[in-house]
Amino acid sequence: MYGTGLLKGLSVTLRHMIGTFVTDVRKFPRRYFRDGVHPTRSPEPYLHGAFSIQYPEEKVPMWPRFRGPLVHLRDPETGQPRCTACGMCERACPHGCIKVEGEGKGKERKPTLYQYNVGRCIFCRQCVESCPFNAIELSRFYELACYDKDTIWDLPRLLELGDKEEIKEQGQFWGET
Amino acid sequence: MENVWTIENVWNAIGMALQNWLAGFLPAWLVTLIMDLLVIVVLLAIGIVAVLILSFLERKVAARAGDRYGPNRWGPYGVLQPFADAIKMLIKEDIVPHVADRFSFNLAPVIVTVGAVMTYAVLPFGRNMVAANLNIGILYFAAVGSLSIIGLLTAGWGSRNKYALISAFRSVAQLITYEVPLALCIICVVMLAGSLSTQDIVLAQQERGWFFLLMPGIFILYFLAASAEMIRCPFDLLEADSEIVAGHFIEYSGMKFALFFLAEYIHLFAGSAMMVTLFFGGWLGPWLPSWLWFLIKTFVVIFVFMWIRNTFPRIRIDQVLKIGWKVMVPAGLVGLAITGFVDKLIADTLIAGVVLFVCNIALIVGVSYFMGRAQRQKEMAAEGAALR
Amino acid sequence: MSVQIPPTERLRTDTIQINMGPHHPSTHGVFRMVLTLDGETVVDLEPRFGYLHRGIEKTAEERTYVQNVPFTDRLDYICGITNNWAYALALEKLAGIEVPERAEYIRVILGELTRVMNHMLAIGFLWNDLGATTFTPVVYAFRERERILDLIEMAAGSRMMPSYIRAGGVVADLPEEFMPRLQKLVPHLKRFIDEMDTMLTKNEIFRARAVGVGVLKAKDAINAGVSGPVLRASGVPYDIRKVDSYSIYDRFDFEVPVHTAGDVYARYLQRLAEARQSLRIIEQAMRDIPEGPVTSLPYKQLSRLKPPKGEAYGRIESPKGELGFYLVSDGSNKPYRFRIRSTSLLNLTLLREMCIGHKVADVVTILGSIDITLGDVDR
Repeated sequence: MYGTGLLKGLSVTLRHMIGTFVTDVRKFPRRYFRDGVHPTRSPEPYLHGAFSIQYPEEKVPMWPRFRGPLVHLRDPETGQPRCTACGMCERACPHGCIKVEGEGKGKERKPTLYQYNVGRCIFCRQCVESCPFNAIELSRFYELACYDKDTIWDLPRLLELGDKEEIKEQGQFWGET
Repeated sequence: MENVWTIENVWNAIGMALQNWLAGFLPAWLVTLIMDLLVIVVLLAIGIVAVLILSFLERKVAARAGDRYGPNRWGPYGVLQPFADAIKMLIKEDIVPHVADRFSFNLAPVIVTVGAVMTYAVLPFGRNMVAANLNIGILYFAAVGSLSIIGLLTAGWGSRNKYALISAFRSVAQLITYEVPLALCIICVVMLAGSLSTQDIVLAQQERGWFFLLMPGIFILYFLAASAEMIRCPFDLLEADSEIVAGHFIEYSGMKFALFFLAEYIHLFAGSAMMVTLFFGGWLGPWLPSWLWFLIKTFVVIFVFMWIRNTFPRIRIDQVLKIGWKVMVPAGLVGLAITGFVDKLIADTLIAGVVLFVCNIALIVGVSYFMGRAQRQKEMAAEGAALR
Repeated sequence: MSVQIPPTERLRTDTIQINMGPHHPSTHGVFRMVLTLDGETVVDLEPRFGYLHRGIEKTAEERTYVQNVPFTDRLDYICGITNNWAYALALEKLAGIEVPERAEYIRVILGELTRVMNHMLAIGFLWNDLGATTFTPVVYAFRERERILDLIEMAAGSRMMPSYIRAGGVVADLPEEFMPRLQKLVPHLKRFIDEMDTMLTKNEIFRARAVGVGVLKAKDAINAGVSGPVLRASGVPYDIRKVDSYSIYDRFDFEVPVHTAGDVYARYLQRLAEARQSLRIIEQAMRDIPEGPVTSLPYKQLSRLKPPKGEAYGRIESPKGELGFYLVSDGSNKPYRFRIRSTSLLNLTLLREMCIGHKVADVVTILGSIDITLGDVDR
C-alpha cells in the first residue's frame, strides 16, 4: 500500500529517538562517559543510543598508534636527546617541515638547531621510520589549536612533549622496535 | 460575568479582576482599549515564548533522532539556548544588499510576521479563552494565514537574488495550490460542526466525538495541506537548503532574519493549534484544565511535524503541484461530497459517524491504490532504461 | 545536445542563469555549476571545476616514490585506503615487487571496509541532497563510518589519511585488538545496512524523487569512461575486481550486483547491494587470513627504491570506480610522470547530459548520486 514506506521510515527514527533516552537513563545520574568506555570504543557496537562525544568533558583516548606531532626521545641513561642531527628526517619529510643543523663528528654529533613546523606537518610518520638512531617518534597529543602562529617547535619543546606523553621507544606499537 | 477563581478559569479571572480594577477610575472606552491592547500584548508574548520553546524543541528532536544530544551548553540540558540564539540574532549586523529594493526588502519580514501573529486571535486556547470569538473564525484564520505569501513574494523579489526569486515563485505556486484542499477540508469540518466559529467547532466535537476519528481521510488531507501551508517538511521547498540555499531569506541577516524565523514557528504553532481545534477536540479533555489540554495536544502535533521533518526528504516542486491539483483537490472534493451526503441523509449521529469513518477509510485506500499504481507503472518503465 | 525551448505562442519567457557553487551547500565541496534555467527546468548546465586544484601530479614528480604515499591519501579523502592501494599496485608493477600473503588480506579487509563506509556515506549525502533537512540518514552513516574509521585508525594511526598501504605490503601488522573488534563490527554493519534499507528504500517520497531521474545510458557511460557503481547501475557488469582481478580477489566468492534503470534510485540500490557484497568479502577474508610477514620491502629499502626504466599502470576498483595510477620511471628515485586516473572527474563528465531537462532540485540529487569527492576531481 502506498505510504507504508513512509511509516517504516518514521518507525526507524522513532526508535532512535527513544534509544537515546534509554542510554541516558542507563548512565543516569552521570552525564558523560567518564569511565573511558566511549561509544566509538565500546567493544559491542550498538545501533540505537546516543553517540555524541561531549568533547571538553570527555576525551577519547587515542589508539597507541595514533599519529600526532613529533617528539624527541631521551637517552635513558644520560637524559640527553638521542638525536645526532644526521638529517635523515629532514630528507624523508615530504613537506620539508623539519630543519636540522648540528655540529661534531660521529657519535659526538649533537643538534644545534632542530625546527619542526607542526603547522605544515601531515603526520605521515616517514621521519620516524627513516630515523636510524631511535631518536624520534610521533606522540598521541592532538589538541593543536592555538591562538597565535606558534607552529615552529624547537628541540627543548619536542623533548618536553615527549616526556609529557611518556614515549620511551620508537615504534613501540608498530611491531618494529 | 461572575469572577470565579479556579485553575480552569485562572486567566479569565485575572483579566476580569484587572478590568474591574481599571473600571474603578477610568472611563469605559479607555478600559476597553487598554484591555484589548493587553490581549494583543499577551498574544504576542505567547507567540514569542512559543517560538523560543519550539526552536529549542526542534533542535532537540532533530538531535535525538540522529543519536545526538543537541544543544546542552547553556543552562541545564541547554534550555537557555534559545535566549543565546536570540541575543546572537539581535547583535548581528543588519545587511541590506546594495542592489536590493530597499523598501520591499525591509517590508517583507514585517508582513510575514504580522500575518503569522494575527492568526492567534481566533485560536481557542481554552474554554472561553479566545481573543476574538468571531463567528467566522475559521475563515479569518484561512484568510490571514495566507497573508504571508505576499511577504514571501516581496522578500524574494526585493532581495534581488536569483535563489530568492525562485523561492518566491515556488511560494506563490505552492501556497495557492494548497489553499484549495485546505479550504475543502475545513468546509467538511464546518459542515459537521454547523458553525465557522472555532469555539463552536470544539463544542460540536464534544457531542459527536473528535473529528479525527470521524474523518481520518479528511484529516490526512488537512495534515498534508497544512504542512504545505506551514512550509514544513516534506513541503519545505521554499527554503530548500540543498537546492536554493535558504530561499527567500537568503539575503537577510540579524533581526530581519529573526523575524522570518519567528514567523515560521508562529505559523507552526498556529497551524498545529488549529489542527487540534478542528480534529482533536481542541481544549476538550478530562481532569486537567482546558488550556493545559490544548497545549498538550498542540505540542504532540508539533512533535509529529518535527518527527516527519527528521525522517523525510523533500518533494520536488512539480510533484508538489501535481499532488496538489491531481490528488488532493479531487480527493478533497470527494470527501466534501461524502461528508455532505452523510450529514444530510443520516440523522443519527452515531450511525452517521460510523458511515463517515468507513467512507473515509475507503477514500484513503482508493487514493493510496491509485498513487501506488502510478508509481509502480513509473518504476516498471524505468527498469532497463539505461540499456535502451 | 540541449533542450530546445519550444517557441511558445502565448508567453515569451527568458531563461535565467544561476551560479550554483562554489559556495553552495550541496555541491560536495568547491564545485560550480552554471545553470541556465527556464523557470525551474534546467536548459543548460556547465560544470566548472578546479577550485581545489593542488597540483598533486606535478608535485609528485619532485618527491621520491615513498614520499608520494601521503599525497594519495588526499585525492579522495573519503577513502584513503583504496587510494594508497592503487598507488602501491602501480609501483609494485613498475618495480616488480612481491606482496606477502597476509598483507594482501589486510588490504582486502581494509579496502572493503572503506567501500562500505563510502557507500553508506554516499547514500546519506544523497538524502541530504534530496532534502532530509536535519541530516538524519547522514548522521547514521557518519556514526557507522566513525566505527570503521576507528578500526583504520587503530591499524594505521590516522582516521582519514592512513598512508597505510605501501608498495610491498602494509606499514605494520594489524594490532591485536583489531580482529576481535572487526568480528563484532561486521554483523553490526549488516544490521545497520538493513536498517538503512528499511528506512530509505521503500520511502515513497524518495522513489518519486529518484526513479527515472538522471538516467545515464549504458553506451554513453561507456563512451565517457564512467566506472564504478554509477556504471553498474546503468546495467554494465564491469567490476575490475572481476574483469581484471588484482590482489587476491579471485579467491573470494562474491557477486557483482547490476541494476538496469541507470537512474538515481538504481545508483542508490547499487550502492546498498555492493556494501552487502563487501561485507561478504570481509567475512571470507577474516576467516582465511594467514599469519606471516606483512611487507616485503621495509621503509628503509623502499625509500631508496629506484625502479627500472619503464612505465606501469595500476588500477583498482575503488569505491567510486576505477582508480588508476600511471607511473613512468626514468630510473631515478622519483617518478618521471605521475598520472592519476581519477574516478570522480570521469564520472562527473556526463553531468550535463544527465541533468538537462530535469528540475533544479534534481541537479543536486543527480550530483549526489554520482558521489564525487572534489579532492579527487581537481587533484
